[in-house]
Amino acid sequence: MIFFEFAKRNLTRHKFRSVLAIIGIVIGVMAITALGILGNSVRLAASEQLYMIGNEVVVFPYGEEAVSEDNFKLIEKTADVAIPINSMTDKAVLNGESELVMIYGMRSEDIPKLLEKEDGQFLKHGSLNCLVGSRLADNYELRVGERATIKSQKPRIVGILKERGIGFDINPDNAIIVSDKMFSSLYNSSGYNLVVVKVDKIEDVEEVRKEIEDRLNKKEKVVLVMEMKMIVEGIKEFFNILSMFLIGIGSISLVVAGVSILNVMMMSTVERTKEIGVMRAIGTSKREILRMFLFESLILGAIGGVIGAIFGFGVGFLVDVLILKEASYLFAPSSILYVFVGTAFGIGTSVISGLYPAWKASRLKPIEALRYE
Amino acid sequence: MKVVELVEVTKVYELPRGSIKALDNVSASIEVGEFISVMGPSGSGKTTLLNIIGCLDMPTSGRVVIGGENINGLGDDQLTKIRRDKIGFVFQQFNLIPTLTALENIEYPMILKGLNGHEERGKELLRSVGLDEQLGENKPNELSGGEQQRVAVARALANDPDIILADEPTGNLDTKTSKDIMGLLKATNERGKTIIVVTHDPLVASYTKRTFKLVDGRVDRVGVFA
Repeated sequence: MIFFEFAKRNLTRHKFRSVLAIIGIVIGVMAITALGILGNSVRLAASEQLYMIGNEVVVFPYGEEAVSEDNFKLIEKTADVAIPINSMTDKAVLNGESELVMIYGMRSEDIPKLLEKEDGQFLKHGSLNCLVGSRLADNYELRVGERATIKSQKPRIVGILKERGIGFDINPDNAIIVSDKMFSSLYNSSGYNLVVVKVDKIEDVEEVRKEIEDRLNKKEKVVLVMEMKMIVEGIKEFFNILSMFLIGIGSISLVVAGVSILNVMMMSTVERTKEIGVMRAIGTSKREILRMFLFESLILGAIGGVIGAIFGFGVGFLVDVLILKEASYLFAPSSILYVFVGTAFGIGTSVISGLYPAWKASRLKPIEALRYE
Repeated sequence: MKVVELVEVTKVYELPRGSIKALDNVSASIEVGEFISVMGPSGSGKTTLLNIIGCLDMPTSGRVVIGGENINGLGDDQLTKIRRDKIGFVFQQFNLIPTLTALENIEYPMILKGLNGHEERGKELLRSVGLDEQLGENKPNELSGGEQQRVAVARALANDPDIILADEPTGNLDTKTSKDIMGLLKATNERGKTIIVVTHDPLVASYTKRTFKLVDGRVDRVGVFA
């Protein structure tokens, strides 16, 4: 391919200039790749910290203190799994220190459906013992077998829960979980503070939410029904926008690189006017001249793109390891994607920047170009 | 058989100060195998005539037939193809492509045309213009003026064109080298190639068989001079 060969040789004629143009592309592609990976890593890290399960519907009381027992029965009929939960903020003494914590009361059989344990065991039916969240266990160095004090009761800690992250239903990491029996012996409560509904098929979530609303809010609005899916999607959307924003910043440097390629190529066409005239005179077509110049910008873009993507990946690695302290996000397919996105943007920018100079070169009139000194 | 036929060719350049008639009603025909020089003072229209015969420029009016093909109204792509296949150019400043070696310069028109065996034929042409095959590996800036012009003649012959057009081919060469190049062109003509040389050097014209004298865009005299 003679015109590819021409492009290669012409680029090596002004090595320093070509290298500068390539550096511009390298920086641009590096910025896009690194920022893209960063945005994606932050998203992955956040998704890990947020307890996000799409097939949950959470029912909260609305305008009333609690979801009544009757209404819970109605919910139970609609859903595959309905978990009633009571909660109360109260002082508890842990390892001799008093702390304000969240206390959840759940039916013993429901606990494994919603939570996972790290150590010990779950509560038996009607148990007067308790479970503690992972953060609480860490902060107060709690171990299975020790006792917590809530009011006058001293439940034994039989299990420590796995870290769950920030949730929109319950936040057990900083909480104590007791059985419903224990809860009612501690506090006077009628009805429930919230009901978590699990739907088998994610595509039925919307329908289940509607049905609960229809049944319970028939006369007046007594419950607020929230789909976890909606919240999850809102958060995903936020991170997508964040990623786009970061890539947008990276693109600015690529635009600058594009301008420098345009400049280099314009210089090159002017310098080579006479040569183009000779080539045209001895039978090179406009299309062939165009191709020769486009190959030049393609080569600049491809070299810059590949080097930039490698550097960008390296910077992404450093950021992940130093800031997020987790390198595994880097190798997620959604992160690797940005290596290719960066390269493609680099090549695209170069070729687009080369279009105008190439077009100009191909349009030179042979006799005028021949006369050019 | 006519290889070039010009019928009442006029070329007018529109300039801001007014129009200039570079060629004024020129009619001429050139037979296959002729060796022709075009002479005249500067501004007489020599180069314009050469550009029109070389399909680099279009006449304002009149008919131009090159190698049996009427070029009036042809598009850029078709003209480019005629230049590639039917015409060989030799320039005053040699005008070799600096990124290509001497041999690649000779091969280039054949590659454009898509011919096979261009390397073999390139080497053959290199020898036929009296250059060593090893010289073919050099870039133009590593060659002397005379050697560059020899390469240019070989390049002009690459696609076996109907006509060789040479614009002041010895203008940048010393007398001895000029004689060598003209000798080379003469030998090429003797092998049957039609050659048109633009020059104002009577010594160059003396190699040719027929001379067109141009004055003010008109053919003043046609004949054998020197």
